[in-house]
Amino acid sequence: MRRLTAKLLLGLGMTLCVAAARGFDLGQELRNAASELQKPGKSSALGGYSEEEEVAIGRQIAGSLLGAAPLVKDKQLQKYVNNVGRWVASQSERPDLAWHFGVIESNDINAFAAPGGYIFVTKGLYKLLNDESELAGVLAHEVGHVIRKHHLKILQQSRMVDLGGKLLARQAGGNDKIQNLIGSGAEIVSRSLDKNAEFEADRIAVVLAARAGYEAFGLPQVLQEIGHTGSNDSSVALLFKTHPHPDERLARLGDEMDSRFDGLKGQTLAGRLYRIK
Amino acid sequence: MKNATRCCLLAALLITIPFANAGESGTTIKADELKAEPFRDAKTVGQLAAGDKLEIMNKDGGWLQVKSARGNGWVRMLNIRKGKARNSSAGTEMSGLAGLASGRAGTGRVVATTGIRGLNEEELKAARFNESELKLAESYLTSRTDAQKFARKGKLMARKMGYLPDPGETR
Repeated sequence: MRRLTAKLLLGLGMTLCVAAARGFDLGQELRNAASELQKPGKSSALGGYSEEEEVAIGRQIAGSLLGAAPLVKDKQLQKYVNNVGRWVASQSERPDLAWHFGVIESNDINAFAAPGGYIFVTKGLYKLLNDESELAGVLAHEVGHVIRKHHLKILQQSRMVDLGGKLLARQAGGNDKIQNLIGSGAEIVSRSLDKNAEFEADRIAVVLAARAGYEAFGLPQVLQEIGHTGSNDSSVALLFKTHPHPDERLARLGDEMDSRFDGLKGQTLAGRLYRIK
Repeated sequence: MKNATRCCLLAALLITIPFANAGESGTTIKADELKAEPFRDAKTVGQLAAGDKLEIMNKDGGWLQVKSARGNGWVRMLNIRKGKARNSSAGTEMSGLAGLASGRAGTGRVVATTGIRGLNEEELKAARFNESELKLAESYLTSRTDAQKFARKGKLMARKMGYLPDPGETR
């Protein structure tokens, strides 16, 4: 209890600094925040954030990422990716989150997840795919980051967002205050997660794909494909910088999957993969 | 009768969707057994050593059917890297897994230089929030029910499976 109070005080102190700099009704916001904190179980289950706050943070990150690379203007493609993604995410422990998926205009090979269920794949990565099970595997990896709140955790570690987020989440749309907390632009998606968070997302991905009825080796196949793109190829520069090398991920997956997936048949749906014109 | 069987076989071969990467070369990254069929308890027909070159013929789940100097058979996909092992022609010294992977640097993919947006850290940092693009992205939401319909069309059957255990932290 004492630790909690100390943390609360520290939090309030730091929020004070943040809030003072932004200049909004501090007294009222602090009272609101304090009463929020007293509601039992409201946000503890979500690693310090309510779902509403998580989505507000995720929206800000997603909107900034789209500012750097807009959606590919192909409605059928975007709808298709949402169908596959939502089906995969439905197999996770957060099936009712409003999951959003998109393909963005970039020839880089990469995929991004933001809190609250915002997931984007670059056109460069999408074009490498051979079938729907590979798309499912890639999206499932990102779903893994969202359900384990990997990005929220680094936000929490790096900035004073736990109370700040509570003060700020209520406003919808582009929000300067949230932006100030997550850093500039979509910088956060270029930050490396802990290596083990990536391995964890890989382990989750093969299982979610299998649960969804897909061939479980979709993600490993994509990793093999990316693995032989030269590491000095600029299209994978950011991916290789922020993730363990695909070969290391494959070696880990090999040990972790062992023979658990033998004989588990799933669909690859090569014929249904939507091809970008 | 014999002819009919042969016809059926031929038809089956023709109907089978050809494996996209058939004929691709690969390298064994970890010593492993060659199996007569694509499962662990199948008969062992050979032994591959790390670094063995092979040709990939077919694929079944997590298994690849390969041809190699040590025999033909099925081997676990995750013990194979596609592409040739690095030949020491260019760049910095690399060894092991990383070396295998970067062996094809510069081949294959062409890096375009005009009209293409890279997504480096600076660009992401400088990105401005785009409300209308975000709303467009959100407009493509698929409901859980619609996702189920989509799955049914593809004959995707949901099944139960536990998450894989964490083998422990790595260095």
